[in-house]
Amino acid sequence: MANVEGRATAITVLTPYKPAGRLLLPIVFWIGRNVTATLRKLQMLSFIHYARWVMVKRFPDGGAGELLHYPYLMFESNFNDSWDQYIDAFSEVVPERMKGIWGTSYGFPGPIPVEPFKDYIRANEYVANHYWNAYPEATTTEIISAAKVAAALDELRARAPALDPAAFKVAYEDMLTSIQHDL
Amino acid sequence: MSRNVSGQAYALTVLTPILDGHVERLTAHLDALPEGADSPLARVPGTHLGRWVVIDQVKYQAHGQRHRDALSASRLLFTSNFDGTLEPYLERLRTCLAEDADAIWGHCRGYPGHEDRAGFARWLRAHELEAALFFAAYGDRTVEQVHADLDKRTRLIEFALEAQGLEPADLKQRFLDRFPA
Repeated sequence: MANVEGRATAITVLTPYKPAGRLLLPIVFWIGRNVTATLRKLQMLSFIHYARWVMVKRFPDGGAGELLHYPYLMFESNFNDSWDQYIDAFSEVVPERMKGIWGTSYGFPGPIPVEPFKDYIRANEYVANHYWNAYPEATTTEIISAAKVAAALDELRARAPALDPAAFKVAYEDMLTSIQHDL
Repeated sequence: MSRNVSGQAYALTVLTPILDGHVERLTAHLDALPEGADSPLARVPGTHLGRWVVIDQVKYQAHGQRHRDALSASRLLFTSNFDGTLEPYLERLRTCLAEDADAIWGHCRGYPGHEDRAGFARWLRAHELEAALFFAAYGDRTVEQVHADLDKRTRLIEFALEAQGLEPADLKQRFLDRFPA
């Protein structure tokens, strides 16, 4: 059992949804894919590495798929920080989106107050049996910051040979200033 | 564009039926796999984060759910967030996991074995589910780039501390030495 690998935590949730979800969820997810505000909101939750939602209409079986009475919504996420902080943030930062996504799932109590929401997620969660993380010591924020630092460093490295020492020092200090929040 | 793609990252979701009577053995095998750098997935280049999860049965909610669902077979969920496109990755899974793939998916119905190149990919594709929404915080960065970026950031922090107060000529030379082209 391994829901934690380094600083990343895995969450895997599977919930049955109501017939209304067959109509509403494709719209909710279409908006999620096409209205950038939704993805920006998720980016505000700066501790998510990767997350996905999957509508499981049939459970794959190698043929047409196994049809149950209800379709299921699968959610998986990879995040740093604790499980509690993660669900707290979902509840506080994006409650309307949580309502849109899980609102048609049976038993969903709503994102606020947070304790019943946590109970719901916990009750429908499956623990990973094996979990792999390619950079266990890095948080999402560190990875995004490191990309900005690397770009600034590469840019300075490319033009450094052509700069005289005084101009290089100015450029170097400008670079450090520009990325000071990412160091 | 596929809903499984964000930037250059791909969200693979594979749900395969576990053979009758194999759930406990498969669970025990997965639970006992070495972790961290010794994980079988460490050998599959381009894998950012991945997991295997045994879904023994779906969960009943009550709360208006009139029917109690039951899967005819437990499922094994495999998810991966990886670099690039699907086909090359399936081939990397086959060749890099090799016997480990057999030891895991061999507990699932219809698994053809890793030595069957075409069958292996076909079987995984036949059990793949498409994401409705995939979020990748840094979907433009490959695993290699993430490691390189983190390394550069660490080295620049070290350099910035060491280089405080250096004269311009010395600063430039040390910078060029520390960060060769």
